[in-house]
Formats: sequence, structure tokens, C-alpha cells
Amino acid sequence: MHKTGEQLVMLVVINCVLLAVGAAISGGTFLSVFNLQSMASQVPEIGLLAIGVMLAMCAGNGGIDLSGIALANLSGVLSAVILSSFLSSSDSEMAFSLAFMAMTVGVGLAGGIINGLLISKLNITPILCTLGTQMTFMGLAVVVSGGRATTVGSPDLLSRIGNDMFLGMPISFLIFAIVAALIAAVLKFTPYGLWLMLMGTNPKAAVYAGFPRTGIIVGTYALSGTLSGLAGMIIAARNVNVKFDYGSSYLLIAILIVVMAGVKPEGGYGRVVCVVLSAIALQLMSSLLNFGGLSNFVRDFAWGLLLLTFLAVGRYDVVGFLMPFKGQLKSSAPSPQAPKPNN
Amino acid sequence: MKAISKHILIGGVAITALLSGTVGPLMAQDKPVIATVVKISGIPWFDRMNTGVEAYQEANPDVVATQSGPATADAAQQLQIIQDLIAKGVTALAVVPMDPAVIEGTLKRAMDRGIVVVTHEADNQKNTHADVEAFDNTDYGAALNVRLAECMGNKGKWTTFVGSLGSRTHIQWVTAGEENAKKHPDMQLVDPNNESFDDANATYEKAKEILRKHPDIKGFQTSAGNDVLGVGRAIDEAGLSGKVCLVGTGLPNPSADLLESGAITAIGFWDPQKAGMAMNAVARLLIEKKEVKDGIDLGVPGYEKVTVKKGAGDGLLIVGNGMVLADKATYKEHMF
Repeated sequence: MHKTGEQLVMLVVINCVLLAVGAAISGGTFLSVFNLQSMASQVPEIGLLAIGVMLAMCAGNGGIDLSGIALANLSGVLSAVILSSFLSSSDSEMAFSLAFMAMTVGVGLAGGIINGLLISKLNITPILCTLGTQMTFMGLAVVVSGGRATTVGSPDLLSRIGNDMFLGMPISFLIFAIVAALIAAVLKFTPYGLWLMLMGTNPKAAVYAGFPRTGIIVGTYALSGTLSGLAGMIIAARNVNVKFDYGSSYLLIAILIVVMAGVKPEGGYGRVVCVVLSAIALQLMSSLLNFGGLSNFVRDFAWGLLLLTFLAVGRYDVVGFLMPFKGQLKSSAPSPQAPKPNN
Repeated sequence: MKAISKHILIGGVAITALLSGTVGPLMAQDKPVIATVVKISGIPWFDRMNTGVEAYQEANPDVVATQSGPATADAAQQLQIIQDLIAKGVTALAVVPMDPAVIEGTLKRAMDRGIVVVTHEADNQKNTHADVEAFDNTDYGAALNVRLAECMGNKGKWTTFVGSLGSRTHIQWVTAGEENAKKHPDMQLVDPNNESFDDANATYEKAKEILRKHPDIKGFQTSAGNDVLGVGRAIDEAGLSGKVCLVGTGLPNPSADLLESGAITAIGFWDPQKAGMAMNAVARLLIEKKEVKDGIDLGVPGYEKVTVKKGAGDGLLIVGNGMVLADKATYKEHMF
């Protein structure tokens, strides 16, 4: 159990270090309110997708959701094409915004349910199933939009979600934080959360124990799909236009975030707070490298290094080995000080 | 209890970060910074552009000119770089958009913050102060055809290749070529607008077919960057080098062998190095609040007397005369 605390402490430390390094190399600009807001507004898209991947992974049995970004783009493209055929985003701003938000989330939910049904009812391996649906969603978005960027426009409410601040924080980031907190609460306090983790730990035992397997899987992928839809809405709100191939690099980054957050690839364990911190860490690092004017290839290298570090931390007691001052960290972190030869 | 104190810890960190953010001094930039953002870094085209940015920096030590770009061809990655640069507080952005539509929102935010925005290869970009294009597409297409007609002796069968029928600039180029060919009644266009999808292999197969179907064909005008390679190989293998003319868009380095063998008559392109310099020059004029008017000299070869029109949005559309036609004798001057 204390390992998980270690992961959290490690993530917090990394975030602090990145902020400090950023402040040092930029002479403070990195910590300016504007940059913090700018970075915060970049996190939600990828963060929501990463939480979706985490949920799928927790379900075990090789669970993963590769269709996330494709579904996000599909929800944006489909909603934009259908809605703008009978509603003008500049004339009826409020109605368009609300309909757009409802529809993106709805499309995401529907796509997620399809994933869940295919996996639970037809017993298709998740990685193959979501690879298939990823291509289907992307293809559908190409057909619907004709391969071109589709204009959503910037109706009042929607553009506020994408661009405005509330209490000095980007609204999109607040939405992300609230959704993350809700999902964390669901995982922690509802029977669904317990079932999900137990089923991920041992699917066979879960079936014999009478867990509603189909319900859990469909629910998990539906939740993941809904998060994709929400990501699609935020992308549209920020970028004014949506396109089928936006964020094609997000797929692997989302998985990277999840693995860095210590979610077990074999299922049964994952914490939302770690995923959020891990997403923030990647964002800080990438902004930091852009601030430093370093090549983006360096960023890929640094991310890979970070991932390997975290895998090492997860596998072995590297923190204890490499950081002689760990005692101080531990005392500020509330994880128990138990000896750990059994790890 | 554990979880609660952990959350307090995280909250504390977040608050500390926010607090230090508010007191963090804004770094004063003594020199204006012009940041060039390209579609993708590490490919020959944009490496060549980088030499232009470096050259501009050397010639203008009173500004800071840099180039960056995503490691993967993804509009979302380019968007993040632009966003970070805005937050960093650059004076001007010179962007070659991966997808003009996707970055409209971010460029608007940049302009709202008083950042000068210049784009390239995006004459449909609305949120920009100025879009710089290397040449007028009609002039370019006509120039390719003039070279082709000259090689063909103004007579004989000829055909055209486009990347795809949906590619706007390619269609503009071949249409302008057809217009020019009308001046020579002996030139006969056969099976026009073959789609190549920028795939050298597919173009090679297609060109072989055309050579079989029309053994007396005299000329090819191609559009996408790899077309000259495919058609050139077909001509070369058929032993027709020097007998069949081929003029099209291509880059000097990959085309070198076929230019030497005579399979390619001439290649047309624009030099990304000069385009990079021109973008920076325009950005600088706009930073200094100087008027960019028709016929102005940007101080870059090919951009000595640019045409300035109204762009797709409120900004300007600046068109240079930066086209380069290179053949066996001249391509070595532009090795990239």
C-alpha cells in the first residue's frame, strides 16, 4: 500500500521540481499567472482522455481504450455538422452551445457503450476492439466532414468554456478538475469502484463472486467514452474548428500519462489523483522545453526517460535507493514508515 | 486520514505554486523576439527554412529570431507550441500552419495579447496580420508550362499530374499551364489531371501506362513534390531521357540524379529559406509599426517587390515572386 503513496509523492515532487526549474530558466515568466493559466488550459484535453484510459486499464483483462481521441474528434465533428445544418452558431448562441455540449457528450457516451458491448458481449480483446472502433470513429468523422476542418464558431457560452477564467482558473481546467474529483469519488465510495478494481485484479473470481461483469465493463467504457466526448467539446470550444485528425499524437501520450501515474497495466489498481498529477507533470515538462527553446525531439526523449524512471520506481525501491533525503519527504508525506523488504 | 493529509499536501503545493506565480516577476525582454513555428521539425524542407531564420538572425542582431516545431505531424502539437510561446511572451509569431483552421482560435488569442502574427502557406488564414506567399499560383503554373513548351518545341502531346483533384493549388497550377499551352495550337493535351497522391511509385506506374498508351507523348507537367521522381524514373527506364520533356514541382536534392540523366527537364519550387527570411522581415516591419504597402522590398531575394492585397480575414496577403525554376545547369545552386 505504501508504494502507491510513493508514486503520489514522487509525482508531487516532480511537479514542484519542474515548476522550480521553469522559474529558474525563465527568470520567473514560467510562473507568471498568464503562463500558469495557459498551461492549465492545455491539460484538460489530454487529461480527460488519460482518465478514460485509466478506467479501461483498471477493468483488467488487457483493458485499454485506444479510441479516445478518435471518439473526441468524432463527437466534435458530428455535432458541428449536424447542429449547424439547422442552428446558426452566431444567431442562436445559447441554444447552439447547449445543444453542442449535450450532443458531444452524448456521442461520446454512445461510442463508449458500443465499445463496452463489443468487449463484454462479443468477448473481443479490448486492444483489438478499441483499435477497430478507433478507425471506425475516425473514418466516420472523415466521411461526415468530407475530410475538411468543420467550423463550430464561437457562440457565447461555448467560447467562454474554451477561453474564459473563473476565479483566475480556466473554465476548461475547472471542468476537468471537477470531473476528475467526481470519478475519484465514484471509484472510492460506490460499489462500482470496488467491483471495477476487484474484477481487474481477478476477473475469474469476480464472475464466480456474482459481479455484474457486463454491467461493469459497459459502464467503464461508457464512462471513458463520455470523457472523450467532453474532451471533444473542450477541443471545439478552444479551437473554433474541429477536424478528424486533431491530436493524433494524444493516443500514446494518454497511455504514457496513465503508466506514469502508476496505474497497473494488468488491471485492478489506479488512482485518479495520480493521473491528474501525471498529466500536469507532462504538461509542465513540455511547456518548460518550449520555454527553453529546446527541440521537440528532446521532449520525446525526456518523456521516455520520465516513463522509465516511473516504471523503475514502481518495480523497485528506487526512491529509497537514490534519495538519501527520502526520510524528510516521507515525514511530510503521510505514507507509513513501514520497512519494505517484502517489496 | 492518510488520504486527507495527502490532499492537504497537494493543495499546499498548488497554492504555493499559485502564490509564487503571482509574485513571480515578469521577465523584461530587451530585444523583440520573433518565433517561427513550422509544421514539423527535422524534415529537409523546414531544416532549410531554419537556415533562413538563422541567416535573418545573423543579419539582424537587434532581434531574436528562433525556429521551433513539433516532432510529430500533429496540429495539436503545433498548437501547444504556439500557446507556450504566447505565454512566454514573444513579440511576434511566424507560423507555417499544419492546419490553418485548427489554430484560428489560438492565433486570435495571440493577436488579442498584442502579438504580431505572420503566416505562410495559408492564404485562407483569417486570424493573421499578414500571410506571406512565395508566388502567385497562376504565375507559377504558367511559368512551368512556358518551360515545358520551350522544351517540346511548342508542339506535341502532353499531359498533367496533380496530387489529388481536391488539392486547390495543384489544380490552379495545371489550369494556368493549360491556359498557357493554348498559345501553341500544336500542343495537344491528352488524359489531363492524373492523380498521383504524392506517391512516387504510383506515379511511376501511371506514367508507364501513359507512355504505352501514347508512344508519341512529348511532355509532362507535374504538381506534387514526388511526381517528378515517379515520372522521371518511367522516362529514364523507357530510354526516353532528353526525348520526352518533364517539368514539375520538385526539390533539388532528391531530383539530382534524374536531372543529371536528363529525364527531368526542369523543376520548380520555392525556397523555404527565403520564405523564412521573408516572414521574419514582415514580422519586423509590423513590430515597428511600419506600413506594408504594395511593391515594398522585403530585402529577401524573390521578395524585392511584393504584391500586397487584402487577405482572407482583416490581415494582408503578401505575394512575392519567389519561384525558382532549376534545370541540370542551375540546380546545384539550391542544394536542399
